[in-house]
Amino acid sequence: MKFSNLPYKKQQLVIIAAFSLIPVALLITFAYVPVMNMIQYSFTNWNGFSKNKEYVGLENYKMIFTRPEYFKVFTVSLYYFAATFFQMGIALYFATILSFNVKFKNLFKGILFFPYLLNGVAIGFMFLIFFRPEGTLDTVMQAIGLGNIIQLWLGNPDIINISLAGTSVWRYMGFNFIIFLGAISSISGEVFEASEIDGANRWHQFIYIILPSIKRIIQLNLILAISGAISAFEIPYIMTGGSNGSETFVIQTVSIAFKYGKVGLGSAMAVVLLLIVIIVTLIQKSAFKEEE
Amino acid sequence: MSLSSVLLVSSMFLAGCSDEKTSTDKGGEKEGEISGDITVITQRTDIVDTIFKDYASKFNEKYPEVNVSFEALTDYGGEITPRMNTKDYGDVLLIPTQVPIEDIPSFFEPLGDLAEMKDQYMGVEERAVDGKVYGIPIAITYTGIVYNKKVFESAGVSEIPKTFEQFTEVLQKVKDSTKAVPLYTNYAAGWPLTQWEGAVTTVAGDPDYYNIKMINEDDPFGKGKPHYEMYKLMYDVAEKGLIEKDPLTTDWETSKAMMGRGEIATMVLGSWAIEQIKSQADNPDDIGYMPFPTNADKVIFPLGADFQIGVNKNSESKEAAEAWVDWFINESNYSVEQAGGISASKSAELPEELKQYEEQGVEFSLLTPANDGQEGLLDKIDKESEVGFWLEDHKKEIVEAGIGNRKESFDDIADRLNKDWNKARAKIK
Amino acid sequence: MHVPVENRAALYYEVFYFTAWSVFSTDTDRGRFFASFKTGKEYTSTSPMTPPENWFNFQNYTRAFVEGNMLTGFMNTTFILIVSIVGATLLGSMIAFVLHRFNFRGSKALMGAFVLATLIPGVTTQVATFQIVNSLGLFNTRWAAIILYLGTDIIAVYIFLQFLDSISKSLDESAMIDGASYFTIYWKIILPLLKPAIVTVIIVKGVNVYNDFYTPFLYMPKTDLQVISTALFKFKGPYGSQWEVISAGIIIAIIPTVIAFLALQKHIYNGFAQGSVK
Repeated sequence: MKFSNLPYKKQQLVIIAAFSLIPVALLITFAYVPVMNMIQYSFTNWNGFSKNKEYVGLENYKMIFTRPEYFKVFTVSLYYFAATFFQMGIALYFATILSFNVKFKNLFKGILFFPYLLNGVAIGFMFLIFFRPEGTLDTVMQAIGLGNIIQLWLGNPDIINISLAGTSVWRYMGFNFIIFLGAISSISGEVFEASEIDGANRWHQFIYIILPSIKRIIQLNLILAISGAISAFEIPYIMTGGSNGSETFVIQTVSIAFKYGKVGLGSAMAVVLLLIVIIVTLIQKSAFKEEE
Repeated sequence: MSLSSVLLVSSMFLAGCSDEKTSTDKGGEKEGEISGDITVITQRTDIVDTIFKDYASKFNEKYPEVNVSFEALTDYGGEITPRMNTKDYGDVLLIPTQVPIEDIPSFFEPLGDLAEMKDQYMGVEERAVDGKVYGIPIAITYTGIVYNKKVFESAGVSEIPKTFEQFTEVLQKVKDSTKAVPLYTNYAAGWPLTQWEGAVTTVAGDPDYYNIKMINEDDPFGKGKPHYEMYKLMYDVAEKGLIEKDPLTTDWETSKAMMGRGEIATMVLGSWAIEQIKSQADNPDDIGYMPFPTNADKVIFPLGADFQIGVNKNSESKEAAEAWVDWFINESNYSVEQAGGISASKSAELPEELKQYEEQGVEFSLLTPANDGQEGLLDKIDKESEVGFWLEDHKKEIVEAGIGNRKESFDDIADRLNKDWNKARAKIK
Repeated sequence: MHVPVENRAALYYEVFYFTAWSVFSTDTDRGRFFASFKTGKEYTSTSPMTPPENWFNFQNYTRAFVEGNMLTGFMNTTFILIVSIVGATLLGSMIAFVLHRFNFRGSKALMGAFVLATLIPGVTTQVATFQIVNSLGLFNTRWAAIILYLGTDIIAVYIFLQFLDSISKSLDESAMIDGASYFTIYWKIILPLLKPAIVTVIIVKGVNVYNDFYTPFLYMPKTDLQVISTALFKFKGPYGSQWEVISAGIIIAIIPTVIAFLALQKHIYNGFAQGSVK
């Protein structure tokens, strides 16, 4: 019997099963099984090499919660957290503007997306030159008459996280931007036309048409960005290795697990981190629900 | 070193690691018989496609039946370690420092008995377990201070400083009378700060200190102890502004050229760096090398092992893999040409440059290995305590404290390290 | 284009913002661009912002390309890129189709499972992931990278869901009256209409795969399997980096992505622009 001859109810079941089979299998194999292993390691004192893993119960967790310095690094996450909103804001702003007819819009799209095209090595190298004394940033500030507020952008521990969070915005904004741009393009042109006839200006169109239509994508981006802020890793790792007060929880976890051979403890820290991220995400979701 | 002695050493080595090859005179025939495919894993991403390809073809002249392929990893320790939980980590590889010494036998093939091999090779004790050798250092280097002679001259320094006090005075003179950075830490790259650790033995003036005495101390970072004195210097120079203006944005490549041009007076580095800096200098003779300052009577240049090369226990071509190890150590000349050190083989001659130091009364000395029953203990405490003697984390903190970016003083950091050390030591013992 | 008066001021504002942004972007890139034409000695002895002595010094480019084996890199990257993008697009649109068009028990949970998976910080689970890839026999094959890239891309799923909102269900229904199966509806109706979404996914995913060097180094270190992002590391050894050659390599590597981006982004149409041109 041919598939197309099946009644639609049955077809539905077959399609649901067939279409989700591979993605779910991949999801389980490469996301959930590793997490299960990680949880298992977190109850051992495994060093990452030894053939035997000794079961130590909750000792790793006790250790984490009796050492408050492990959680101090979350203050660093606040910088990335704040930067996230800024990043979303400008990404949304540019995506909206470039959805309208603006001169040179392809050029601008290219420029905004460009940082995302670069790989991590290039970023680390460029920003070293950028933040160096008498480097690019200092030169620019001198040129626009702001020479007197020049700082050691990375050398000053009060500023380092702002500089790094700024780098992170520069790098990932293009990603949010292109996704918002794509999402906005799903809105039918007719809706805009109709609103124009009704005398809506761009601000109205943004608030009443664009925002509601792409709410789902914005929510997802926020979730990803906030969880990304809590588990910030790449930018501070390649730029400073977490030194001078720029250490994040993930950098700390990675060095405990792999530098000092405490995979058990590191896994427990990763489990704690994951729980924190999940809780924050749930809070965020329920906040959105209330608004609705 | 003559060719015949190379062959002699290599056949001795083979005899040491494989029971079948007891007679050395058949060596030539035997060599031809070794066959198989081997994968060699290296940390040298920069020369894997050039120099290593040449090595392979030279190796094949001797062992035509062995097919060698290479893999280069950029962050060696980080990338090899996840692989070690499988069987697939090449045939010949460097022993990652992350592997606890006691676990080495579950991953590597023994290369021979320590009792025999320690007469032939330097540094083989370091990762030996239960009298068996698992790795041979790919090079032996020594640690000291690279300096620019011209800068010293224009600062009015005529004599090489010996003590801590003299050294700090020299740096101050450089600061006062030249534009050069007195001591460049290369903080941003991180790893150059770990180079200091190699000089502890110079500070102690005693090759027994590191592996034998320190392990029985409660406070290796206590006042007056070598670690305290040495890192106090790191702190002091940072505090007195004798280092670069913004340590966070330093760049290792640029620093070599800056020293070559006389914009940097000194850097604490292993001997491997001398050639690299000379090659960037307008006049290579401007670049000099001296021992780390010490208050001890005897001045020692401590010899230290680079990575150790070993054979995967699960290798299917162990003979071929061992042949590569042997060839690489004894015949490739990697240690001198590519690692800026000397060969681990004791029959290799000391390079000319080292002889001049011996004339100055500076002694070259290998660290005394740990006492029986205490092998690997230092490594264990180091990891458990997170002191990380060979890691940059706490050194960065010391520099940060020096330039006033931390609330802690140097003594606070030293106390903290002592506490961590003691706690771990109590737990392990 | 007709611009209402009250919007003109806003337009100038926008232009100002964009100009500032582009100056900022290009200024940081300039140093790298300059470096790519410098000799090794010149690189370490001049300021990053000093233009090179000889603009026709293409030596670094040839070295990056030849010694960096960038040709092999391009071929491996192309293969991985095509397979993983096609795969991710199909899998993502399939799961989105199912989630959007059918109401079934567990659909919420399925969605939640995908979101949750993206919240896991990948670096912390690498030991276990490595063991899985190896036990599947994929280590040191291009499939290791491909299967990891195929993984679970929640972004793609969401973009498809967003576009499915705007594809009316009445299209499905009229096709069903003609006797089309659900598979036909997906393949013949939905997928072609998802084109702008697919383009967005290709851009985002493609850049990700193209630039990732962590996965290839860890899972396919064999020299024949090197990709474009790992080529740069040929000039970055443990003892020193040749930044001038790396810079040239970065420029070579980025050219295809810029071209691809410029060609692709035109296909992200947008409703309002079309509307207002009329």
